[in-house]
Amino acid sequence: MAHQAHAYHMVDPSPWPLTGAVGALLMTSGLAIWFHFHSTTLLTLGLILLLLTMYQWWRDIIREGTFQGHHTPPVQKGLRYGMILFITSEVFFFLGFFWAFYHSSLAPTPELGGCWPPTGITPLDPFEVPLLNTAVLLASGVTVTWAHHSIMEGERKQAIQSLALTIILGLYFTALQAMEYYEAPFTIADGVYGSTFFVATGFHGLHVIIGSSFLAVCLLRQIQYHFTSEHHFGFEAAAWYWHFVDVVWLFLYVSIYWWGS
Amino acid sequence: MYYKFSRFTQRLTGAASSTAHSPQGLRSNIPSESPTIVFATPTKVVSQSSHAVEYMGVNKVPDLQRIFQASDEIPVHLKRVVPDRLLYRTTMALTVGGALYCLVALYIAAQPKNK
Repeated sequence: MAHQAHAYHMVDPSPWPLTGAVGALLMTSGLAIWFHFHSTTLLTLGLILLLLTMYQWWRDIIREGTFQGHHTPPVQKGLRYGMILFITSEVFFFLGFFWAFYHSSLAPTPELGGCWPPTGITPLDPFEVPLLNTAVLLASGVTVTWAHHSIMEGERKQAIQSLALTIILGLYFTALQAMEYYEAPFTIADGVYGSTFFVATGFHGLHVIIGSSFLAVCLLRQIQYHFTSEHHFGFEAAAWYWHFVDVVWLFLYVSIYWWGS
Repeated sequence: MYYKFSRFTQRLTGAASSTAHSPQGLRSNIPSESPTIVFATPTKVVSQSSHAVEYMGVNKVPDLQRIFQASDEIPVHLKRVVPDRLLYRTTMALTVGGALYCLVALYIAAQPKNK
């Protein structure tokens, strides 16, 4: 940093893009090998490699930003653009599944009985656990905003408590959804209703788990004094992601659970 | 009287010196302002007391900043030599070994099935 005449970050050479790429290769090939030869070795190896890559790559980013001071305002701006673009790509990902749902449900075929929900499907009551789930995620949106303001105000204890509460609410949502999956009277194999329901809500659940993990990392960092009241982009990125997950759920709830029942 | 800008209310609000200026790593053991808050049972007002009373652990960031900013030309992923090197070597071993295993598995998978 002392020898460069600009505010941008020239990163040290890093092996993690390579290990991540090989991990992706192992996971995709491993999936094919599992399907055809019933062996999960390659897939497992790929997953381990992916986890190791994620851990070390993000650890290095924390080191570069918090300990080495490389995340100047222009660099942070780039990181913000990056996170926004990533979330936008995720929005399009979910848009596809909503398209599939509406394609099948707006004009149900005769094979389904010409109605939605299709004949023989007993949908979940939207005013039972799904409504609770909605309340849980909305509450978590409030607590994560509370955490953000606590960090900005320099209130350490409140930040830790509100962030922990947000994570607990996320885990509560996951537990409730898992229970719903177990108790549901229909499966993924039950025609296009089952497919659209479980793929859309399933990917959403995965994103809740990812978001909860991101927030958990932020909690650990907050406890370890990484965040200052002026500079805490890691937390902001996690909060953006969490709000995105919340909004996707609201669309899922209104479209699939409520309108689709 | 010190002031800080509250982003929430978009106004200047009164604050103690500790909240108006508390950069990372600054340890002020002497509070310059101690408001006399009297309770039935005297309690310690943490936000106004010395920073020696930490909530959930001490701040190790300044020490870590010193370690990672040492000018020793070591790349950031190996800066903490022993644990970093162990993890790096394990990961690279899995990478190279895994890539080879993958190529072998795909080669075998590509062989025609002889009935």
